[in-house]
Amino acid sequence: MALLKRTGAARLAGLFMSILLEISGTDLLGQANPAPEYQLKAVFLYNFAQFVDWPPQAFSDAQAPIVIGILGDDPFGSYLDETVRGEKVNGHPLVVQRLRRLSDVKAVHVLFISESESDRVEQIVAALRGRPVLTVGDTEDFCARGGMVRLLNEKNKIRVRINLEPVKSAGLAVSSKLLRVADVQR
Amino acid sequence: MLFLFLPGTACSNEFLRRDAIAETEEFQLAGSDAQILQSRGYLTLMRRPPAFCIAVTAVFAFANIVRAQEPAYVPPSTLKKLSVEQLVDVDVTSVSKYPEKSSEAAAAIAVLTQEDIERAGVTNIPDALRLIPGLDVAQVDAHTWAISSRGFNDIYANKLLVMIDGRTVYTPLFSGVFWDVQDTMMEDIDRIEVVRGPGATLWGANAVNGVINIITKSARDTQGLLITAGAGTEEIGFTSIRYGVKLTDDAFLKIYTKYFDRDSTVRPNDSDAHDSWDMLRGGFRFDWQSNPENAFTFQGDIYGGDQDELYHVPTTTFPFAGRNSGTDNVAGGNLLGRWSHTFAPDNELTLQAYYDRTERVSPVFGENRDTGDVDLQYRFDWGERQKIILGGGFRATHASIDNSLNISFFPNDRTLKLYSAFLQDEITLVPETLRVTVGSKFEHNDFTGFEIQPSARALWTPGHAQTIWGSISRAVRTPSEAESDIRINPAPPVPIPPGLLTIIGNPDMESEKLIAYELGYRIQPISQLRLDATAFYNVYDDLRSLEPLVPGPVSPTRVANKLFGETYGTEISATAQVLSQWRVEAAYTYFEAQIHREEGGADSRSEAAAEGGSPHNQFFIRSLVDLPWNLHFDSTLRYVDDLRMPRVPSYVTADVRLAWSPRNNLEFSVVGRNLFDDRHPEFAPTFVGTQRTEVERSVYATVVWRY
Repeated sequence: MALLKRTGAARLAGLFMSILLEISGTDLLGQANPAPEYQLKAVFLYNFAQFVDWPPQAFSDAQAPIVIGILGDDPFGSYLDETVRGEKVNGHPLVVQRLRRLSDVKAVHVLFISESESDRVEQIVAALRGRPVLTVGDTEDFCARGGMVRLLNEKNKIRVRINLEPVKSAGLAVSSKLLRVADVQR
Repeated sequence: MLFLFLPGTACSNEFLRRDAIAETEEFQLAGSDAQILQSRGYLTLMRRPPAFCIAVTAVFAFANIVRAQEPAYVPPSTLKKLSVEQLVDVDVTSVSKYPEKSSEAAAAIAVLTQEDIERAGVTNIPDALRLIPGLDVAQVDAHTWAISSRGFNDIYANKLLVMIDGRTVYTPLFSGVFWDVQDTMMEDIDRIEVVRGPGATLWGANAVNGVINIITKSARDTQGLLITAGAGTEEIGFTSIRYGVKLTDDAFLKIYTKYFDRDSTVRPNDSDAHDSWDMLRGGFRFDWQSNPENAFTFQGDIYGGDQDELYHVPTTTFPFAGRNSGTDNVAGGNLLGRWSHTFAPDNELTLQAYYDRTERVSPVFGENRDTGDVDLQYRFDWGERQKIILGGGFRATHASIDNSLNISFFPNDRTLKLYSAFLQDEITLVPETLRVTVGSKFEHNDFTGFEIQPSARALWTPGHAQTIWGSISRAVRTPSEAESDIRINPAPPVPIPPGLLTIIGNPDMESEKLIAYELGYRIQPISQLRLDATAFYNVYDDLRSLEPLVPGPVSPTRVANKLFGETYGTEISATAQVLSQWRVEAAYTYFEAQIHREEGGADSRSEAAAEGGSPHNQFFIRSLVDLPWNLHFDSTLRYVDDLRMPRVPSYVTADVRLAWSPRNNLEFSVVGRNLFDDRHPEFAPTFVGTQRTEVERSVYATVVWRY
């Protein structure tokens, strides 16, 4: 595939594929729209970008993007991209990055730690300690294991749990609007 | 006259979804279906050439059908409209049904968002209101407008309640609005919510034919520096500066100032109307969320302006009429504080207080007014199926008036007090399908004593793509100071002593009364198309008339209540997201009034004005296009039918705007308004002898810079 990508024909084919993907709204590899639960969670991530204040040094300049990273398997498909497309928060455009490895996490502001990484949550949050990255997950005991924000499905509704200590030590400020609806652990 | 509402932003949605009320500025409420209307399409074809998009739209439609077999898909644009409080309440198993809930408003509501305002390129609030289906906006001269809904339009239109951030801006002087002084930075307006029809149960007297609620952005949402400047043919020059600063993590402050200088209009004979004006204003807003339970807002404005005007005035000597070319000086200011305390997500108490001062000095009349107002509101869930909202308020207003031969008040110094309370219960009869809302407002005013204004509304959502609603309500329009105390000596058209035509107020005037019947239907057949239709039948009694004191063609007249009548009409609007970068909105309004004189009533003139002052047909279509290279092209075609009293011919005109953002903090735009003719009339003066003028074509350029 890497070899093919260099040819114009493959590029055209790639473009065609991506157009098809966009038209159908589904992933041709068989992955359909994300489950409704993940459609909602994608919108929560978008909301977090608005309700969290990052320290100025988290951005290289006033127009630098707010990056939402997905570490591990992507449960959102293109839905998260659709959610943030064209959106800006305080002049910062929102972008989505898919990250395979922890070392890929560089200028990321919101990091969704996917279920595929659930075995090493402690390791990931320890590596990010003190950096202004809002860690979000939906796996068991995510907050107890050092994560900042857990999205949990309770009686078919998405609840937000916030672990305030790591949030504060990372220099992040969570709006009281969000705290008001969240289950806050101090 | 009342308010009864409070949280400055969400409040008007009380009608619609009270569960959204705790949410304030940051998020648009799902409560208004119009916001969903505004939602950008979710076609994933952005930034592709239009021809390509057209070609694949059909394919996309097919893909949507295929999609039905897959997990339910809700466009992000829909979920993004929800507040976090609403998001945590969405049932993931029925998420696909949720968006339709947001169109649940048992009232004829429309919302104009900041984007709508920005993309229209309008420089004043009345021009923004022209984009709201069902509103009747007519410019009378450079600084005077006649604005109404569902008929009875006039410069002194008195059946519309208008509020800015929870502060009532209609004046008890004539129960109407001095539109010239209702202004703010256009960039600061978060949205304008309009409810056509009676809103009296929550809002109180004067919300007879509609409520306009102008909501500005919180200090939190207006951080940084914003500078705008522009100039043009009618807009000689305008500029505004806003600066927002974060004081602590939860406290924000913004300050702004705005200045404009507008050219005069022309008279029908093409001569200059000498009605140019300028105005300077400034203000601040402080928002503090001290903890998750308590939110505070403190805001204020101050303004002053000069308006040239030419008056026909009566004189004491032959020929008893003359001209007075002068300047009106207008000034004012206000301070408002609001505290809201949340006990639980659906349990909130709000306290609001404001002080407002207005000053107006003209050759024919002067007025200084001070108003103080306090409101308290509490809402809570009572059991699983009932949402209760109740509140009370007090307002005192003191006016001191400078009399002239033309216009005088007896007494010319008085204080009015208004007490009010309301209670409303929204009951879910069948979850997600049938809901009824009942309530009433009770108030006491100095002219007519106690007034009761109940309403009942029902909302039925059969299936998930459509909503049917209906309502019956009673509303009253209480007498104004003018109707009680005024004496107008108009400049006589022929040389007769002016006293022969005097209009005299009547302290015993009764309230005008309305029983309104409304029906509404909304449907979203496909996600890119929304349709909204309403029909109403209004029965009015005790409408104001001016009855002659002696029989015959020339006689002084006195205020009375000897008219009654029926009005009916329909308002239809549609929004289509044709492509992700092309939205089209259209609205058609039909209106008819049948006004009758009571036995003994002789005021055929007021009868004709009530029947003929509003157009039978109005139509607009608006297109908003995103082009490549960060260009936006927006255009509006407007048609307004003729008026019979005053006589004004129908007109068709167009407004366009082309904007370019070379960088995302910089935008240049060029706006053309009223392009189809050099000038056209839209209304004519009533009661006060200003001149007939016509609205001219206008072109201006603007630059907006953010840092």
